[in-house]
Amino acid sequence: MSALPVSVITGFLGSGKTTLLSRLLRDPAFERTAVIINEFGAVGLDHLLVESSDEQILMLEGGCVCCTVRGDLVRTAGDLLARRASGTVTPFERIVIETTGLADPAPIVHALMTDRDIADALRLESVIATVDAANGAATLDAHPQSVKQAALADCLVVTKTDIADPAANGLAERLQALNPAAPKLTAVHGVMDATRLFQGAYDRARYDPALYETPPHRHGGINTFCLRREKPLHAATLSLFLQLVAEHCGAKLLRLKGLIDVVECPGQPAVIHGVQHVFHPPAWLDAWPNDDRSTRIVVISQGLDAQWLQDLLELIDDEVNACSIS
Amino acid sequence: MASVLSGAMRLWDVAGTVTISASGLELTHTDAAIQDLTPLRIVPRAPHGWLVLRGPETLGVHAGVLGLLRQLREELAPHAQRGRLIIGAQSLR
Repeated sequence: MSALPVSVITGFLGSGKTTLLSRLLRDPAFERTAVIINEFGAVGLDHLLVESSDEQILMLEGGCVCCTVRGDLVRTAGDLLARRASGTVTPFERIVIETTGLADPAPIVHALMTDRDIADALRLESVIATVDAANGAATLDAHPQSVKQAALADCLVVTKTDIADPAANGLAERLQALNPAAPKLTAVHGVMDATRLFQGAYDRARYDPALYETPPHRHGGINTFCLRREKPLHAATLSLFLQLVAEHCGAKLLRLKGLIDVVECPGQPAVIHGVQHVFHPPAWLDAWPNDDRSTRIVVISQGLDAQWLQDLLELIDDEVNACSIS
Repeated sequence: MASVLSGAMRLWDVAGTVTISASGLELTHTDAAIQDLTPLRIVPRAPHGWLVLRGPETLGVHAGVLGLLRQLREELAPHAQRGRLIIGAQSLR
């Protein structure tokens, strides 16, 4: 049985998550979607606003999914899968998790990637963050959690563009600098081409070199930069580098995505993708997307030093080279 | 190596300096929480690898920077946050 895709919709309070989800479920292409909604507060309301079959909407109440109900999330997803297998719910083809506006998506992504009860059955498809065009810039200034939501997303959806222009108020530029590789889509009252939301982390277009040419950016404690290397890296270098970064950078590393030219696999770049210290197994492309064959590693972090990471990468590769030669 | 070590000290919030000496590198730190302020010396070891010395005492022998940084963090910043690489069960494809 192939793994079911699961996506996470995150975004700050009032940024349009529920509206987007509600419209999404009205799209015939997505009618076979099961939804898990997490609400922060004693009484959940969002599920009443989402138009779908009740049996396929599950509530997680009593806390924020990222900190207090992570186990519940895993159990709920497991229950959904069991009910699907037993035929007690309409067969669904996708799960969408809507987080609270205050949630840090990283622990949710970690649970989906690593929990052994569900990781074989579910495939993390995409992390989608909504950002309000009218209030988004102020929210990014005032709430670090919203910066993290935008930084961790695979896809950013700017909402309420009918009442504010994200290009005019600087939000568009800010999001581009914060998360250059994430496509930026717009939605008015939740209306958009929903198929573009679910292209997932694995998508060649995400590795378009132009996305990585953004200058180093720092705002609100979050900095984004790209490590580049013209010479191929040994596979061992990559493994040691990731191990070292995970060990020492901890929660300061928000996201790392890369396209790596590996000595042992010429012509077939490796795609690496991690959220904090949790990484997907590398995927291998059949060929380079274009003529640019340099290694590019995009880092979104809370204050990590780009030059330090670049020096570290070079030092490790020198060591691996020396071991290979001696 | 000097820039990697000084960057690591900044990452761990350790106040100190890295200087290049005839035999290798010397790390001095001024962290009052660490009792022994004797500088650490990092000396290359043939054919490759590193020795960590404090005064005449050898504290560790490392084949590469991974083990070296791990020991230096334990010596200089035992309370610094440490992580562990986890490879998830799911492939990207």
